[in-house]
Amino acid sequence: MKFTVDWLKQYVDLDITTVELTSRLTMLGLEVEEVRELHTSLDNVKIAGVLEVKPHSNADRLTLCDVMVGNETFNVVCGAPNVKAGMHTAIALPGAILPGGIKVKKAKIRGEESYGMLCSERDLGISENHSGIMELPDNFECGMDLVDALSLKDTAIEIDLTPNRPDCASVIGIARETAGFTGKKLTYPIQDEIPELTGENIPFSIEVESFDDCPRYAARLITDVKIGPSPWWLQKRLLAVGQRPINNVVDITNFVMLEYGQPLHAFDFKKLAKSKIVVRRAHPDEKMVTLDGVKRDLDSKTLLICDNEKPVAVAGIMGGESSQVSDETTEVLLESACFNPITIRRTARKLNMGTDSSYRFERGVDPGGTVMALERVVRLMIDIMGAKVVEGGVDLCEGVKPRDEITLRVQRVNDLLGMEFTADRITDFLTGIEINVKALDKGILSVTPPSFRVDLEREVDLIEEVARLKGFNEFPTTLPSVPMSFPETDPDWGLRKRLSSVMTSLGFHEAVNYSFISDQHFDMLGLAHDDPARNVVRFFNPLAEDQNIMRTTLLPGLLENICRNINHQNREVRLFEIGKVFYPRQGEELPYEPLRLTALLTGRRQPGSPVLYYGGEVTDILDVKGVAELLLDELRLPEVSLKRSPDTLSYVEPDSFVLIKSKDTKIGEFGKCTGKMLKRFGIKQDVFYLRLNIDEICRLRPAETVFKPLPKFPAVKWDIAVLVPEHVGGGEMVQAIMNSGEKLVEKAEIFDIYRGKTIKKNFKSVAISVTYRSEENTLDDNMVGVAHKKNIELILSGFEGQLREE
Amino acid sequence: MEDELVRLKSAAFRSLDSIEQPDALESFRVRYLGRKGEFTLLMRKLGQVEPEDRPRLGKLANNTRKEVQDAFDKKKYELTESDGGKGSGVVSQTDLTLPGRAAPFGKLHPVTQIMEQVCGIFEGLGFAVAEGPDVETDFYNFEALNIPKHHPARDMHDTFYISDSVLLRTHTSPMQIRAMKEKSPPLRMIVPGKVYRRDSDITHTPMFHQVEGFLVDRKVSFADLKGVLRVFISKMFDKDTLIRFRPSFFPFTEPSAEVDIGCVICKGKGCRVCKQTGWLEILGAGMIDPEVFKMVEYDPEEYTGFAFGLGVERIAMLKYGINDIRLFYENDLRFLSQF
Repeated sequence: MKFTVDWLKQYVDLDITTVELTSRLTMLGLEVEEVRELHTSLDNVKIAGVLEVKPHSNADRLTLCDVMVGNETFNVVCGAPNVKAGMHTAIALPGAILPGGIKVKKAKIRGEESYGMLCSERDLGISENHSGIMELPDNFECGMDLVDALSLKDTAIEIDLTPNRPDCASVIGIARETAGFTGKKLTYPIQDEIPELTGENIPFSIEVESFDDCPRYAARLITDVKIGPSPWWLQKRLLAVGQRPINNVVDITNFVMLEYGQPLHAFDFKKLAKSKIVVRRAHPDEKMVTLDGVKRDLDSKTLLICDNEKPVAVAGIMGGESSQVSDETTEVLLESACFNPITIRRTARKLNMGTDSSYRFERGVDPGGTVMALERVVRLMIDIMGAKVVEGGVDLCEGVKPRDEITLRVQRVNDLLGMEFTADRITDFLTGIEINVKALDKGILSVTPPSFRVDLEREVDLIEEVARLKGFNEFPTTLPSVPMSFPETDPDWGLRKRLSSVMTSLGFHEAVNYSFISDQHFDMLGLAHDDPARNVVRFFNPLAEDQNIMRTTLLPGLLENICRNINHQNREVRLFEIGKVFYPRQGEELPYEPLRLTALLTGRRQPGSPVLYYGGEVTDILDVKGVAELLLDELRLPEVSLKRSPDTLSYVEPDSFVLIKSKDTKIGEFGKCTGKMLKRFGIKQDVFYLRLNIDEICRLRPAETVFKPLPKFPAVKWDIAVLVPEHVGGGEMVQAIMNSGEKLVEKAEIFDIYRGKTIKKNFKSVAISVTYRSEENTLDDNMVGVAHKKNIELILSGFEGQLREE
Repeated sequence: MEDELVRLKSAAFRSLDSIEQPDALESFRVRYLGRKGEFTLLMRKLGQVEPEDRPRLGKLANNTRKEVQDAFDKKKYELTESDGGKGSGVVSQTDLTLPGRAAPFGKLHPVTQIMEQVCGIFEGLGFAVAEGPDVETDFYNFEALNIPKHHPARDMHDTFYISDSVLLRTHTSPMQIRAMKEKSPPLRMIVPGKVYRRDSDITHTPMFHQVEGFLVDRKVSFADLKGVLRVFISKMFDKDTLIRFRPSFFPFTEPSAEVDIGCVICKGKGCRVCKQTGWLEILGAGMIDPEVFKMVEYDPEEYTGFAFGLGVERIAMLKYGINDIRLFYENDLRFLSQF
């Protein structure tokens, strides 16, 4: 909602600064979004009288003018078609900087001196009109500042109106609030009695089919209409708030809409069949052309204003082309009505038409102000264009319901706000903005809200008014006294934090991607057409085609992040994301939204670490395995296994796919991405991925932590060096030693694997260090020797091993 | 033999005393302590003494040599190590200008950091953290929050729809309804999560993060709401941060307020970020509307409560001076590693 300070002053005395005004409005819930001084760059723009117009010797389209500014006469070159001797216009003198950025200087134009520039309205930022230079009334004195002559000095204010305050979609509404906090009186434009519209003896008829759709409809007929431009004061008001003046009839209805908040419409009376108006719903398949020239398909929920034959307006939204006011119009039927907000909103949405009128009707127009606004239009038409009004008119108001009285308990006000107001204080607040209050019993008030406050329906609405008028910052701040209780936080939240901290300590940065992806991403991953991941939640109004389904995997987002980083010359990337994926559920309205952790590793093993110490070694599959192991260690799940699985995924190298299980529950997987898939994401280097199903993990009980006493006796380390065929798994040998049942074995660890000239082909040398310890005594060589021998035999027999000859 | 030892010892000490430069150390070492040095030569003579004196003299020679060696080591330390390393070249030195040896940590996404910080403050006040579904029903997202189908407030929420009745939640407020339907008061909850709106430009992304909080009990007042938010803001920002509450409108709270803090960039002087007002809007709040309580079958006469919600990206942008919200979702390491 836009208005100007000067306009506001028409209704209320203002003795505060603009800064104070805007800050008070903001603090009353009318948030001032923009304050703009109008016409600040019109210094050095004066009223000029054109004395003589001569042709320019070097240019056909230019003229040479003698203009008078004050006592001086200047030569000015002008290109406007409408320049003529005797006219008054605006001149920008050298030194002026016009709103469009033009710096006016003394110049030579095609060999002729020009002292300044004669301006159009657009040059001066007054309107969009650029058809010629401004034509100003003769009574303006030459040499006067244009800003003073046209009273242009003003401040435009824009308020970001909340949907509950349609009463303030009007300058009077804002004036009413202003009067409330300044304690000044509000002066309405019409103060005397206005005639009652009885519907008798008038040359037209009005019919409203449903008062539910149209609670009130008032109309009057104006004759002797002379269409023409509006007077400057009216144009100025409209221009200041960004509205384009059209003609006097349209401008007046627009002006009154902005003034009272009541949208109005003027029909060309002669074009209304049988001089009749019917307010009804559209018939199926009915069509009409609106003012903007668009043909509209209507449905049975659309409320129309019709004449005896056809629709002439979409009620409350836009008039029709057929009955539009034109230059030939001499009689107009004025409509001022109140429509059902829901009906208007539904149609405005359906037809995708948001207008100043629908904006107000959707939020609720004052049903008590219908006739007053109509009277204002009538009087302006009489004043401005000498029109005449046909006596009497129609006012069908069966749909207007009387407002219920609301009981307001002083105690409730104070309990909810944490204040100690008296009944009198509350009464003062409310009556200050024209709300009627009666004291009933002690501590109980009866409140009748005025018709323009459609938002006040309940006790709590009035409590908010009291709080608002007092000012929220005037309230004390206290802390609630709530019984103590332990907050039971979602297990997901805690687990997510623990996993994130493991990931970041391993050098992974956390990524957050959009929850939506596209079907194309599944093709890029190489998923089969019947892959369960393709069963998705799809939304029907996406912003972009590549964001139209809810993700069932976090991979595409992360792969795109990797690609982006590589493209920005960062090839060492460790990223993880913890986020939801979405799976539709049979027979359920809402999808399943399990939490997943997905991590990607690419480039150097220790991204961001000093190359000097860590070298340039790149990530391999065992790096991912290490990450998985540390995460699992943090989770302390029972019976965890990491096993290579033959049933791989389309985007994972078959021999690298490892399933992570706890007991029999699959809780995750890791592997190496296929080059083919990576290429589709624009990545040309190895990438490894890891996924954990956090939802599954949350359902598992972590293993109990039981303390083991610290050992009392020293340990002994003996080594085994053995040649085994390549296919033997080093980890399997370690496992075999650990599981051998030999009590003294505490730990076994591979410390070297060697393949080289001295080693047989297809064999490798594996060196294992075994730690032995007894709980009962210090071990001697004999005791260790027995156990160690058994372990060597175990390896030799179980893994086709041969001892290395030194 | 004994005399020779004594003479050699005093000569060596004298010579050592006179050394002032580290480069003279080496010649001393060669002369006295080297393989062909004076002590070695002297000890060779041990073979010529009487056999019964040999152990005693041998021990004495060794001890004397050790005394000289220790004195030499001490001198060498004084001249090289203790003088700030001027004597480099003699001993190898660690170059402490080199980077430390450690692989860096990763960082949590700034959105997560802010979200954890916000939730942490409220957890300290006894609020429980809960997350609701991202895909919601129209009922929970709108109807139950007092936003019926044709309410103009729906204009504030440009919505992604899955079907007529299922959508991507436009705010975290539906969790109020879910929690209240399930539990009875007193309730204190904080709900972090993703929300979605059909909007995309330099200040809007189609997905962003909110944190919703609410408290319901008997006799909870607007003054309590102010108190709790004041605690939050003083912990989240600076304890001297200015705060103001302005009336606003949300269909599910009444009275409703917008909460502004004194601009963290210009400290209230007026700048581009605060649009010259000196204030930054950081959260919306209010007393839970009785209509909402009716939806969850709480008696609005018995219980009152407040709710608030804030945009996580907005807070992060203000705190770190980030000027383009889209950066949050590009996951560029040059961005992520800064927080």
